[in-house]
Amino acid sequence: MKAEPTDEDSSEFERRTRVLLLQSADELSGAVRSRLTQARHAALSAPPARAPALALRWLPAGAAIAAMLALLVVYVPLGKGTMENPVTNAGFDDIEMLTDTDSVPLNGDQEVDYDFYEWAAAEAGEGGPAPAVGS
Amino acid sequence: MAAFASLECQTVALLPPGKAHLRDSIQDATRALDAFLASVERKGFRIAQIALRHEADALDVVQDAMMQLSSRYGSRPAAEWKPLFYRILENRIRDVQRRRSVRGRVMSYLPWRNDDDEDIADPIEQAVDLAPQPPAQLEADEAMTALEQAIAALPERQRQAFLLRNFEGLDVAETAASMKCSQGSVKTHYFRAVQALRSKLGDFRT
Repeated sequence: MKAEPTDEDSSEFERRTRVLLLQSADELSGAVRSRLTQARHAALSAPPARAPALALRWLPAGAAIAAMLALLVVYVPLGKGTMENPVTNAGFDDIEMLTDTDSVPLNGDQEVDYDFYEWAAAEAGEGGPAPAVGS
Repeated sequence: MAAFASLECQTVALLPPGKAHLRDSIQDATRALDAFLASVERKGFRIAQIALRHEADALDVVQDAMMQLSSRYGSRPAAEWKPLFYRILENRIRDVQRRRSVRGRVMSYLPWRNDDDEDIADPIEQAVDLAPQPPAQLEADEAMTALEQAIAALPERQRQAFLLRNFEGLDVAETAASMKCSQGSVKTHYFRAVQALRSKLGDFRT
């Protein structure tokens, strides 16, 4: 039966791995060591990076805000939320007018009650010939 | 050392007369940075090499990290250099890994890709060394190869925690600063890394 690893075993394991890794770093080839030295000297010769000017630092934020404002201006109209199109809405208005039953009839003589007018004229004239409608 | 000396001369030459104390402090700071980089360059290279499994890429990554530390953070207190250097190094390693991953995905779609182009191993490097080696050296080489492969197979955060704590010898706080995580996370990653390596390597002897 295999015993559970103890803290002591772990420490020993860690020590062994550390020794191996340090050994591998010490035994790097001459070519690699030379390249690393050159790289270090190049790094030390590099000029220090300057912090960007204040205006340049705020440039991305300013550009983002300007873009958002431009989008707002283009896509959100001032005043009304939705634009009305008189051409497309005209059809609905005409239909409403034609189907309205309370308005004055538009179909001329067909709806005129002639009997009523003849009776009214007879009553008003008392025996005389009834005047022709429209005369 | 010539470049280092020339930089020092250039910087000092710009100083007005009567600023000898500034000249001395600049020279001291540059020497301190040089000593620091010399102390971390080999370990940094091994960490990059284990992660990337490629010598030239590892050298590039270490050079980039040294450049960035020197040019951007050289004026910071020396105590901050080590965590900063390893943070930069890990970022560069991740950049190379991502680039490789993207390139691999793109190349897999190309019908005319040439798999033999870059992945082919250098036959001289791969040649077996026929010279007799002492048994102890052979055992150490085999152990190192096994350890390197096991570390490379760890998840990224565990690998970072293990190498920074065990190899570089950073304490928990410095490791947390390098990895940009909490100290509790460092302990967890490190513990899991040790467990994984122990289970993989078994009776590991040097």
